[in-house]
Amino acid sequence: MSTTTKTPVVAVETPFRRFVSEFAASKIAMVALAVFVFIALIAIFAPWIAPQNPYDLAVLDIMDGRLEPGAIGGGGYVHWLGTDDQGRDMLSGIMYGLRISLLVGCGSALLACLFGATMGMIAAYAGGKTDSSIMRVVDLQLSFPAILAALMILAFLGKGIMNVVIAIIIVEWAYYARTVRGSALVERNREYMEAARCLALPPRIALFNHLLPNCLPPLIVVGTMQIARAIALEATLSFLGLGVPITEPSLGLLIANGFEYMLSGKYWISFYPGIALLVTIVSINLVGDHLRDVLNPRLKK
Amino acid sequence: MRITTAICALGLMAGAAQAQTMTMTMAVGAPVTSLDPHFHQLSPNNAVAQMVFSRLVGTDAQSRRVPDLAESWTAVAPTIWEFKLRRGVRFHNGSEFTADDVAFTIARVPNVPNSPSSFAGFVRPITRVEVVDSHTIRFHTATPYPLLPLDLSNVYMLDRETHQNATTEQFNAGTMAVGTGPFRVVSHANGDRIVFDRNDNFYGEAPGFARVNYRMITNDSARTAALLAGDVDVIDQVPTADLARLRGDARVSLAEVLGLRIIYLSMDHERTGPSPFITDNDGRPLAQNPMKDIRVRRALSMAIDRNAITSRVMEGSAVPSGQFLPPGVFSHVPGIEAPAFDAEGARRLLAEAGFPNGFRITLHGPNDRYPNDGRIIQAIGQMWARVGVRTAVEAQTWTTFVARAGRQEFSAFLIGWGSNPDGSHPLRNLTSCFSRERGWGNSNRGRYCNEALDNQLITAMQELDESRRERQLIDIQRAVFADQAIIPLHIQTNIWASRRGFVVTPRVDESTIAQSVRPATMR
Repeated sequence: MSTTTKTPVVAVETPFRRFVSEFAASKIAMVALAVFVFIALIAIFAPWIAPQNPYDLAVLDIMDGRLEPGAIGGGGYVHWLGTDDQGRDMLSGIMYGLRISLLVGCGSALLACLFGATMGMIAAYAGGKTDSSIMRVVDLQLSFPAILAALMILAFLGKGIMNVVIAIIIVEWAYYARTVRGSALVERNREYMEAARCLALPPRIALFNHLLPNCLPPLIVVGTMQIARAIALEATLSFLGLGVPITEPSLGLLIANGFEYMLSGKYWISFYPGIALLVTIVSINLVGDHLRDVLNPRLKK
Repeated sequence: MRITTAICALGLMAGAAQAQTMTMTMAVGAPVTSLDPHFHQLSPNNAVAQMVFSRLVGTDAQSRRVPDLAESWTAVAPTIWEFKLRRGVRFHNGSEFTADDVAFTIARVPNVPNSPSSFAGFVRPITRVEVVDSHTIRFHTATPYPLLPLDLSNVYMLDRETHQNATTEQFNAGTMAVGTGPFRVVSHANGDRIVFDRNDNFYGEAPGFARVNYRMITNDSARTAALLAGDVDVIDQVPTADLARLRGDARVSLAEVLGLRIIYLSMDHERTGPSPFITDNDGRPLAQNPMKDIRVRRALSMAIDRNAITSRVMEGSAVPSGQFLPPGVFSHVPGIEAPAFDAEGARRLLAEAGFPNGFRITLHGPNDRYPNDGRIIQAIGQMWARVGVRTAVEAQTWTTFVARAGRQEFSAFLIGWGSNPDGSHPLRNLTSCFSRERGWGNSNRGRYCNEALDNQLITAMQELDESRRERQLIDIQRAVFADQAIIPLHIQTNIWASRRGFVVTPRVDESTIAQSVRPATMR
C-alpha cells in the first residue's frame, strides 16, 4: 500500500527521509499531527492569546459565575465557552489547562523515559543479578494499577504540580525500562557492540553512543503513547482533587468543577474541557499508533 | 365539578387510610456509624437515636427544649436539678421506664469502651444522682449549672434490665437497639441502610408511616438522582448545584430552614512574630503577625462581599451573618448585622495598619466538609485580592485539613461550627482561651484569648436566671465580635427535598428523622 504513494527517489534515501515520507503517507496521522501541533501552539502561547488570566484571582469575579457560552461578563468581553462557578472564562481556562496538561504530560514522560531507559540499558548490558533485580522491581511496578500507585504517592507527597510529575515518573518509568531492555538485549549481541567491546570503549560510551540510538525506535513509540497516558493520569488525579491547586485548574480539575452542575443543565463547565482533553489524547495516540506502524519492520508488508 | 370534588375527597380518604400502612424511604448524605446512642457523637447518629430512643428533655424542630421523658424540671436548689418523669412509658420490649433507668444511663454514658467522640461531657457536671421515687430524680452539681437541661437533651435513655451488659456491637446488630422512641429497628446494614417499623405503643404523636427505609447515599448527585427517579421519597443535604433545578420541578418540594451552623474564617491569634502563611509582597516573612492588629482583621472582614457568596456560591442556601447564632435563637445579639461589603474602607484600614499595598496570605480550607467550602475560599481570595491582599487558596480534604488547623499551622482558614441554641456553646468552644483543664476552647484553632471575657462567661454559665444569663451572653458575644475574634461569613440553610405526597418539617438542628415527614394527605 505504502509503496504506491512513494515519492520518486531523487537523492540518497536516508533512513530519516524514508521515515518522514512513510509517516506522511497516512492522512489520518498527518491530521492528528496537525491537531497536536495546533494544541501545542495554543498551550505555548496561552498567556498572550487567552482573553483572561484564569489563575489571577483578582481578575475573576464571582458575579460572572456560570455564565452561558456567548454571554458577556462584567469584564466587557464575550465568554465564548461560558464561565465556571468562579467566573473564570472557560476558553482561557482551557488554554491554560492545556498548558499544564502538556507540560506535565511531556515533562513527566520525558523524565520517566530518561530514567527508565537508563535503567533498562543498565539491566540489559550488565545482565546477571543487576538485570534480575531491576526487572523484578519493574515487574512489581507493572503489577500495580497506575492510578492506585499514583494516589498513594500523592497522598504521601501532598498536592502540587511537581508532585504529580514525580508520581507519574514513578509509575511510568517501568514501561520504558522493559521496552529498552528488550531491544537492548537483542542489540548487545550485534557485531557493532562486539566491535565496541573489542575496542575497549568505556561502557558509558558503548551504551549511550552505540546501543541507545539503535534502541530508539521502540522507545519513541512507547514515549508517544506514554505522553497521552501521562496527560490522562494527570487529568484523573486532578479530577480526584489530588493534583493541581484549585486556583490553577488543569483540564481534569475544570471537568471536576463542572461535574456537579451537570444535573442542573450547566453542561459547558465540564463539556468543553472534556472535549479539549479528548482531542489532545486522541491526536497523540493516533500519531503514536502510526509511528509504531512505521518504525516496526515486522508490521510492514 | 361536583364529581371532581367527590373524586378528590375519595382520593384524600384513601390516601389517609393508606398512610397508616405506608412505607417511606429516605436517603441521607452522611453515613450513620453506630446505633449505640452513647458511642459516637455525630449528627447522623444522633438523628437515628432520636428515632429509636428518647431523652429526658427533647428538642422541637426549632431546637427549643420540650418535655419528653421528663414532664418538667426545676432547680430546687442552686446546685440541685429535679426532673419529674413521664409515667407509663415502656421500652420496645415492654420493660417499664423508671428513674432507676435514668440513673443507669447517666452511669453508662462515660463508660462506653472505645468511644471515638464521647457523650461524657454532657453528664460531667453531675456529681451525684439521687433517685427520689420511681418517677422523680435529682441531679447534684458542684456549682450552679443552668445548662443541665440543655446538656441532657443530648443523652438518650436506656433500660437497666435490657442494657445492663449491652455492648456497642449488640446495638449495631440491632438486637440491643431497644428504646422508648417512635420507631424500632428491624435491620441495620452498616453504612448502607436501616429499616425501621413503627412503635405502636409510642407515648407521643404517632408516626405517619408503618415502615421507614433509611438509606445512606453519600454521593450528592446520586442522592438527587435517586429522588428524581422515585427510588427514595425524601433526601437531605440537597446539593446547592441542584437547587435551581429542583426549585423548578413540580414533582419535588423543598423544605428549608435557617440552621445553627455558622461558617467563618479563623485567624492566627497565637503568634506575635511571623505567621507561617503571611509574607510581604516580595514573599519575605513579615516581622510581625498582621492578624494581631484589629484593623487588619476588620479590613479582611469588610473586604468580603457576603451577599455575593450566599447568592452566587451558595445559591441562596445561606444567610450572611455577623455573629454565631441566627435571629430568634436564645442569646442572639440584636444589632450585630452581617458586616457590609466595603472595599474602599478595607483598603483604608489596611493603609492605617501600615499595609497600603497589602500583603500576601494563603487562605486554607477543607474541600469536602461544608457545602461549597472550596468555592467559598476561592471567592474570598478574589475579594481579598481586590483590596490588595494577594491571596493564594489551598483546599484540602477534611481529615488532613482539620489536623493541621488543630496544630495551628495556618494563618487564616475557613471552618464551620454547629451550635446548640445557646451562646455559651460557641463562646466556650470557639473563642474562649484554650484550656485543657477547663475543657474550653477545644475548637478554638486560631487561639483567640481574652481572659476577662472568659471570666464573664464563667459567671454567666452559673447564672440560673435565664433572662439575666441571656443578657450576659449577649454582652460577651458583642465584645468578641467587636474584637473580630473570628470573621463570620454566613449561616447555612438546612434543606430537604421530598417527592410529591410527602411533607417535611425542616429542623434547625440538621437531623433527618422520619418523625419530620408526614404524608401530604394527612395534613
